[in-house]
Amino acid sequence: MKKKLLALLTAVLMLTSLLAGCGGTPASGSSGSQSGEAAPVKQEVVFALQNLPDILDPNVTNNSFAAPFLDNLFEGLVAYDKDNNLVAGNAESWTISEDGLTYTFTLRDGLKWSDGSDLTAQDYLYTMKRILTPSTAALYVNMLTDYVAGAQEYYDALANGQEPDEEALGIKAPDDKTLVLTLKAPAPYYLGILAMYTFVPTQQAAVEAAPETWAQSAENYISNGPFKMTQYNFNESIVLEKNPNYWNAENVKLEKLTFRFILEPSTALSAFEAGEIDGFRTIPPADLPRLKAESDALQVAPSFATTYYMFNCQNEVLKDVRVRQALSLAVDRTALIENVLQTTDTPAYALVSPGYSVDGVDYTEGRSTYGLSPTADVEAAQKLLAEAGYPNGEGFPKLRLSYYTDANVKKIAEALQEMWKTNLGIDTEITVADWAVYYDSVQAGDYDICAMGWSADYLHPTTFFPLFVTGNVNNNSFYSNPEYDALYAQAAVMTDAQAAMEVMHQAEDMLMADMPFLPLYYRATTYMLRPGVKDVNMSPLAQLYFKDAYVAE
Amino acid sequence: MEEKKELWAPFVATDEGREKIWSKERSFAQDVWFRFRHKKSALLGLVLIGLSLVFALAGPLMTTRSYSDQTLDYVSIPPWFRVYTMEDGTFLYLTSSMRPIQVAEDGTLGAPLVRIQDDMVTKKITYEYGADVVTVDYSQKPPAILDAAGQRMTAGKMVWNKTYPLGTDNLGRDLLVRLMYGARISLLVAFVAAAINLVIGVLYGGVAGYFGGNVDLVMMRIVDVISTIPLTLYVILIMVVMGQGLHSIIIALSSVYWVDMARVVRGQVLSLKGQEFVYAARTIGSSTGKILLSHLIPNAMGPILVTATMLIPSAIFMEAFLSFIGLGIPAPMASLGTMCNDAIAALRVCPYQLFWPAVAICLIMFAFNFVGDGLRDALDPKLKK
Repeated sequence: MKKKLLALLTAVLMLTSLLAGCGGTPASGSSGSQSGEAAPVKQEVVFALQNLPDILDPNVTNNSFAAPFLDNLFEGLVAYDKDNNLVAGNAESWTISEDGLTYTFTLRDGLKWSDGSDLTAQDYLYTMKRILTPSTAALYVNMLTDYVAGAQEYYDALANGQEPDEEALGIKAPDDKTLVLTLKAPAPYYLGILAMYTFVPTQQAAVEAAPETWAQSAENYISNGPFKMTQYNFNESIVLEKNPNYWNAENVKLEKLTFRFILEPSTALSAFEAGEIDGFRTIPPADLPRLKAESDALQVAPSFATTYYMFNCQNEVLKDVRVRQALSLAVDRTALIENVLQTTDTPAYALVSPGYSVDGVDYTEGRSTYGLSPTADVEAAQKLLAEAGYPNGEGFPKLRLSYYTDANVKKIAEALQEMWKTNLGIDTEITVADWAVYYDSVQAGDYDICAMGWSADYLHPTTFFPLFVTGNVNNNSFYSNPEYDALYAQAAVMTDAQAAMEVMHQAEDMLMADMPFLPLYYRATTYMLRPGVKDVNMSPLAQLYFKDAYVAE
Repeated sequence: MEEKKELWAPFVATDEGREKIWSKERSFAQDVWFRFRHKKSALLGLVLIGLSLVFALAGPLMTTRSYSDQTLDYVSIPPWFRVYTMEDGTFLYLTSSMRPIQVAEDGTLGAPLVRIQDDMVTKKITYEYGADVVTVDYSQKPPAILDAAGQRMTAGKMVWNKTYPLGTDNLGRDLLVRLMYGARISLLVAFVAAAINLVIGVLYGGVAGYFGGNVDLVMMRIVDVISTIPLTLYVILIMVVMGQGLHSIIIALSSVYWVDMARVVRGQVLSLKGQEFVYAARTIGSSTGKILLSHLIPNAMGPILVTATMLIPSAIFMEAFLSFIGLGIPAPMASLGTMCNDAIAALRVCPYQLFWPAVAICLIMFAFNFVGDGLRDALDPKLKK
């Protein structure tokens, strides 16, 4: 009997040491073993993604999981450089008319598609019209119809089966190298919108050859960016290779870029630590502190995004602005970030995240904190709650605190619940659902307080303001303030950036006085990248550009 | 040789003496207990159940902390850890988020240090420490506290966490307290489900078995239908209607788990109802209810008890499983399943968070299984042979 026990123990010990051996593979162990000492480093990068894209048709999708592909396969009229400035892309230069309405783009000489055929302004015209065709079902179509003259009418006519008025549409291609866009009203940030992947050109021949499936196989996939698609292994990987027909191909150093799908973040981390992949995007939250302390591969990039909790302004209790302020004041944002999330995010006291600047002055500089502080202001919160008729939380109904299935969001929700309980004496009921179900109920107004966030589509504060404009499709807090709406409408069309900033500050002051949401933190994007891979750009819009990347070792 | 006549006497047999049972007389219950206590595993199970009951019921009374109390300064502190011995003889523990916490010699946690500056370039964080300054260096892996001379120190002394004997979870909640409440939920679910199943299952199976024929046929087909629908589906449906919570789980378990019991009781009643004592009862005109409740079911008590005991661990496991996949107890209430779920994300970093609830589930299930085994052997010695 004893001998058996001993044998068992030995077996267990051996097994543990074996496992420990597996885990002990050094994180710095690189995939460089493929290249010999003397041979030059292979310019190949394998990056793992944790979500599958829905479709890879740039004009159609708004799926952020498709962005890593579209941003590297295509290039629009304007593009971002590695310092996130808007620079010339396919357009060599452009002029904007005095009244801010007419944009004239001149395309570069000798632009080519990845199959070698010529790319002209006609291709851009085709693309814009494709987006405006209802049967395309472009999800960002409002970025044209809201801004470009005649675009809404063009779309409506096609939707009603009528012949659209080509003349009235504010998109023209007078010759092969010129594209002219006419806007309804000035929108100084419209160049930023044109840099979205939605407005990259798609080739008419490729699309019309297989309208439904052209974006689902590498053979039919024609692009115009730094890379072209060479393999499409469904649910497994997508391989991009350098596109020799790209106008700036001589400055693209990477030969091969493989996006592998490893859906489980912890599996991706294991693969990274085993040296199978060079980087990945979603870091398992629990491992973040360890990686922060121990790994030199952890990258943190500022993000133009805000995480907040939304109050349902139709709720009888939450209608009272004092209740909303009390709930917001009772939250210890520093503790949430440093202890619960253990990230490097910044506490948020307002809506617009830092990242947009005019003449080197960031929008957020000099902005008020609206009475909020890094830690909780319990006294002020209790006072406000008492004024609202709930001294020490007495008589306060049990509100629902809703969040969607996600490890980090869950921790925040539980911490908030406890903070309100200890600081205000308020009990809340936590409810959770998967994102799709959750978002439906939020849109239907079936919530009291809910977890939400906004990642900017383009680098301008006006991407945030519509979230609380009366009647906006994204305004799920049902907040309505005509003065705020008017200020936003005014700021959106101002051509003087400095003056527009003033008006936007006024609008935000007004919004924060009413506090229809609870700002938590301004997000930073964290991802893992092997230190030997240089100049990968994670933009503040959380887009991943490999066009300047190279492998140094 | 002298004959010792006084040692010998004739045996006088009486009728009374002949009929007397000379071994110790034991009732049925005593008999069962005799066999039960001679099985070590069964006794061990009984002791474990007793201990877990004390742990779950009396435990929370002995602490002022609640299952939802968060101390965000003490997030994910393990049950034991190594501390740095500073020059003035005090101790510091460096958390995984690179924040030193003062620790007393006996392992009581003190205040965390206040950060002065985080120098991203040299990768050093400085903290206020009384009148002094403590520097944490994370330029090399793993991070370490620097001594006065700027040398990296090593954490040497191993200390048990006295403030939180089992450590804290990822929101700074006391794992020991949460474990007590978790065990309480598990045991509550187990006993309530078992009690309800006992009542429904015994009555249903008894009626089906006693009446037999078409009644039996219809009733048992209903049982078949119920047992083929997966439990998770029931739980989800019930939750849609009644909302998330303990009551949904108990209702779901009680509405399904009685089918095994019903089958066992029906089988027993079927075999018992043809026996003479039942005919006798019928002859003297006892009502059906009387026959069922005071003649048939008491005679089937052995198998019923065994089935009930065996049902408890599976109910406990089911509750843990449902909570683990997020269908159970809503936050912040602790159940063994939600504790496992919370811990699984941090498995690589804080394995102890998963260890405690997992061990608790194992022990409780083992205990009930052992007791069930012991009871079966004791109640029905024929099975043992």
